[in-house]
Amino acid sequence: MLYLILALFSGVIGGLVVTLIPRTRNQLRNFIVILFAVSSAIFSWKVAFLVFSGESVRIAGSFGGLGWSIDPDPLGAVFGLIASTLWVFTAIYSFGYMAQKHNQNTYYTFFLVSLSMTLGVAFSGNLVALYLFYELLTFATYPLVIHERSSEAVQAGSKYILYSLSGAGAILIGIVLTYMFAGRLDFADGPILAGSMRPGLGWLLLLFFAGFGVKAAIMPLHRWLPKAMVAPTPVSALLHAVAVVYSGVYGIVRVVYSVFGHELTAQLSVNSILLWIVAFSILAGIIIAMRQDVLKRRLAYQTISHLSYILLGALTLQPWGLAGAIMHMISYSMLKITLFFCAGIISEQTGQTRVSKMSGVGWAMPGTMAVFSGATLGMIGMLPLNAFWGKYYLMKGSVAGGKWPLALVLIGSGILNAVCFIPVIVNTFQGERSALKAKQGGSVALMLVPTGFLVIAALVVGLLPGIVWPGVEAVVNWFF
Amino acid sequence: MTDSFTANLPVYVIIAPLFVAIVLPTFARLKRLVQGLVLLVGVLGVAGTGYLAYMVLSKEGFPMIYSMGGWPAPWGIELVVGNLGAFFLLVVSGVSLPVALFSRDNLTVEVGGKERVARFYVFYLLLVGALSGMALTHDLFNVYVLVEVATLSCCALVSSRKHPRAAEAAFNYLILATLGSALVMGGIGFIYMITGHLNMGFASQEINRIWQHNPHVVWLAFSFMLVGFGVKSALFPLHIWLPDAHSTAPSPASAILSGLAVKGYMICLLKVLYNVFGHSLMQEFAVHRIMVLAGTIAILAGSISAMTQDDLKRRLAFSTVAQVGYIILGFGIVNTKGLAGTLFYLASHAVIKSLLFLSAGSIIAVTGKKKVSELAGIGRKMPITMATFTIASLSLIGIPLFSGFIGKWHLLVGSMEAGNFLPTAVIIIGSVLCAAYLLPVIRVAYFESAPQEDWKDPGFSQKLALIVLAAATVILGVVPGPFLELATRAATDLLMR
Repeated sequence: MLYLILALFSGVIGGLVVTLIPRTRNQLRNFIVILFAVSSAIFSWKVAFLVFSGESVRIAGSFGGLGWSIDPDPLGAVFGLIASTLWVFTAIYSFGYMAQKHNQNTYYTFFLVSLSMTLGVAFSGNLVALYLFYELLTFATYPLVIHERSSEAVQAGSKYILYSLSGAGAILIGIVLTYMFAGRLDFADGPILAGSMRPGLGWLLLLFFAGFGVKAAIMPLHRWLPKAMVAPTPVSALLHAVAVVYSGVYGIVRVVYSVFGHELTAQLSVNSILLWIVAFSILAGIIIAMRQDVLKRRLAYQTISHLSYILLGALTLQPWGLAGAIMHMISYSMLKITLFFCAGIISEQTGQTRVSKMSGVGWAMPGTMAVFSGATLGMIGMLPLNAFWGKYYLMKGSVAGGKWPLALVLIGSGILNAVCFIPVIVNTFQGERSALKAKQGGSVALMLVPTGFLVIAALVVGLLPGIVWPGVEAVVNWFF
Repeated sequence: MTDSFTANLPVYVIIAPLFVAIVLPTFARLKRLVQGLVLLVGVLGVAGTGYLAYMVLSKEGFPMIYSMGGWPAPWGIELVVGNLGAFFLLVVSGVSLPVALFSRDNLTVEVGGKERVARFYVFYLLLVGALSGMALTHDLFNVYVLVEVATLSCCALVSSRKHPRAAEAAFNYLILATLGSALVMGGIGFIYMITGHLNMGFASQEINRIWQHNPHVVWLAFSFMLVGFGVKSALFPLHIWLPDAHSTAPSPASAILSGLAVKGYMICLLKVLYNVFGHSLMQEFAVHRIMVLAGTIAILAGSISAMTQDDLKRRLAFSTVAQVGYIILGFGIVNTKGLAGTLFYLASHAVIKSLLFLSAGSIIAVTGKKKVSELAGIGRKMPITMATFTIASLSLIGIPLFSGFIGKWHLLVGSMEAGNFLPTAVIIIGSVLCAAYLLPVIRVAYFESAPQEDWKDPGFSQKLALIVLAAATVILGVVPGPFLELATRAATDLLMR
C-alpha cells in the first residue's frame, strides 16, 4: 500500500518541489525531475509485480456517500507500467529538447503532475476514482498543450479542454446510470452490470464509448488531437500518443470488461456497430495521415489509427483479441514515442517540420533516420519488431470471433502504414545533404539516447515476446 | 436559564443583526467599533446557527415550532426550526461572516468615508437578518415583509458606491424588484383568498382540500409566485437588472447579493411551492415541468452570455444567472435525491460565488483592472487571491473533490430517477459552458507574462476570508457528511406534504 501511495504521489510531490526551485537552477531542477520520475517508475513496477503475483493492493475511502478506491488489477498495472516507464525516457528527452526554451519550470511541474494523474487513471479501482483522475488529467495537461502561448496554442488548448470536458460529462452521466442500475461502482468483484440485462444498456455502452472516445480520439471525436500537436514534441510524444490518449482507450477497455463484462457486451447488438466504428477509424486515420505534410500531424493521424487497433482487439471480446490489444498497447507506445522523438530531433536540428521540405535530411542525420526507419517498420508490423505480435494476436482474435473482415482491415492498414511512411524515409535520403542549423536548439545526445534505446527495446521485445507475455497473460486471465 | 435561551435562540438569530443594524448609526464615526460589532454579530450568528443545526441533526425536540409573542397559529406568526431552516441559516451565517471579514479593509477602498461604511453595514445587517428570517418563517405574510426588507437593503447596498452607474443600476433594480414584490403580494393574496390562512401549514391543508373548486385561482397564485420570485432571484429572462446591479456594487456587496440574497428568494419560492402548494399540486399543474424548462433556458442563456463578457464582475454576474437556472431546475425535480442535490448545490454556489466575487474584488482593488483580458500574470503577483479563484472555478465547473461536484452528482442522480433526461443533459452542458467562461480567466492570469508592477495579495483579513471560503468549498466537497445529511432530511420533509 505504501508503494502504491509513493507511485501515485511521486509526480505531484515532484511537481510541487519543482515550483520551489529558482528558475536559473536548471541542473538542480532536472535532477529533481528525473529523481521523482524514476521513483514513480520504480514504485509502479513494485506495485505491478505485487498485482501480477496476485496480491491485492488497495486504498479506499469515500466522500459524500460516494466511495472511491485505488485498487490496480493487471490491466491497470500494465497501463501504469507503460506510462511510468516511458515518462522517464521522455524526461531525459525533454532535458535535451527543452533546454534554451522558456517557462521550463511550469513545463516540468505539470509534466510531473500529469504522471500522477495518469497513474491515478491506471490504478483506479472504481468508476468514481477513474472519473476523478480522468478529469484532473485534463487540467494537468492543459498547461502543457498551451506551452507555446501562441494564439494557435491557446485555441488548441481550448479545443482540448472543451472536447475533454464534454466527454467527461458523458462519462459522468454513464456513471450515474451505472450506479442506479447496479448500486455499486467497484471493479474488483467482477463486472458491475453482469447479469442485469435490461433495455437501454446498449445506449449506456454507447455513452461511455463516446465519452472515453474523445480522449481515445475515435473518429469523429478526434479533432482536438491534430490541433494539440502545437505542444512541445515531448508532450506530443508522451501525452498525445500515449498517456492521455491511452487513458481514453483504457477507459473503454475498462467499461467493456469491468463494467459490462465480455459476456454481457457480447449480447448487446451495439457491440458490432462499435467494432465497425473502430475499424473505420483505423482506415480513415491512416488515409488522412497520408495527406498531411506536417510530420507531427501525420504522426497524429497515425495515432488515431493505431489507438483503434487496441479498441478493436478489446471489442472482439475474444481472449486472443484482448491479448492482442494489450500487446499492441505495449509495443505501439514504444514505437510511437520513438517516431515523435525523431520528428522533434529533426525539427530542432534543421528547423523543418514539413515532409516535403525534408529531402536531404537523412544524409545529415543518419542516426536519427535509422531509428525512425526502424520504428516505421515496426508500425507496419514487420516481424523482428514488437508490434508484429500484437497484430498477429489481433488477427487471431478477429478470426476466432468470426469477424474475419476485421483481419483484412488490419492487413490493409499495415499496407497503408507502409505507403504513408516509407516515402517519408525515402524522401529524406534524396537530393543534397541539407544543412543543419548553426545554432542548435538543445543537446542532441540527450534526445537521441532515449530514442535509440526505445527502438532497441522494441526490437528485443519483438525477438523475445516472452518477456512481456506474463503481463498480457495476467490481464487475459483476469477477465476471462 | 439555558432552556429559555435555547428556546428563544431562533428569534435571537434573526433579531441580533436587525437590532445591531438599528443602533449602528449612533456611533457611525467609531469605525473600529462598527467593524467589531459586525464581526461579533457574525461570529455569534455562526455559533447560534451551528448550535441549532447540531440540535436539529441530533433530533432533540425538533423541528422546533416557535410562536412569536406567544400567540399560537393560526393567529400568531410561527417560526419553524426544521431541517430546511437550519440548513439555510447555516449557509447565511457561514457565508456572511467571511464576507464581513473581507469587507473590514476592503470597504474603505470601495465605498469611501466612515459614514458610508457604517451605512453599508446597516444595510448589510438588515439583509442578513431578513435572510435568516426567510430561513425560519412559516408565515406567508411574514415572507412578504422579509422579502421587502431584503429587497430594499439590496438596493441600498448596490447604490453604496458613489458612482452614477451604481445609482442607475440600483434604480433599475428597485423598479423591477418592486414589481416582483407586488406579484409575490398578489400571489399571497390569492392563496389567502381561497384558504383564509397565512400560516403555511394551515394554508397547505386547506388548499389541498379545496383546490378543485378554484383551479384558476390556484393557477394564478402559482404564476404570480413564480414570476414574482423569478424577478427577485434573477431567473432568465427576468434577470436584466442583475448584471448591472451585481457588477457595479462594491465587491463585498456583490458577494452577498449573488451568494446569499438571490438564494434567500429561492428558499422562499421553495417553501411556497413545497410547503404551501405541496408537490402533488405542483405536479397536478405541471409546475415542475415549467421550472425544469425555465432552468434549462436560464442555464444555457446565462452561460452563453457570460462567455461574451470581458468585464470580470459582469462575467461572474451572468454566471449567477446560469447558476440560478440550476437551482430552479433542481426545484422541478420532485424527488429526495434531486431536491437534496439542489439544496446542496445552492449552499455550494453561495460559498463559491461569494468567493469568486471577493477574489475578483481584491484583484480590482489592487490593480484597478476590471477586464479579463487585462489580468495577464495576476496569478504570479497575487498567488493566494488567484489560487482561491481557481479553486472556486473548479468547484463551479464540478470537478470532484470540490463541493460543486457533490451537488451536481445528486442533481444528476435525482433527475435520472425522475426519468427526465433533459435536465441530465443540461446539467452536463452547463458544466462545459462554465468551463468555457471561467477557464480563460485562469489561463490569462497564470499563463501570460506579468507586467512590471508591484501588485501584492491584499491584507491579512481579506486573505483570511478568501482562504476560509476556499477551505469551505473543499471541505464540503471531501467530507460533505453532516451538511448533505441535513439537506437530504430537508428534502424528505419537503416531499412529505
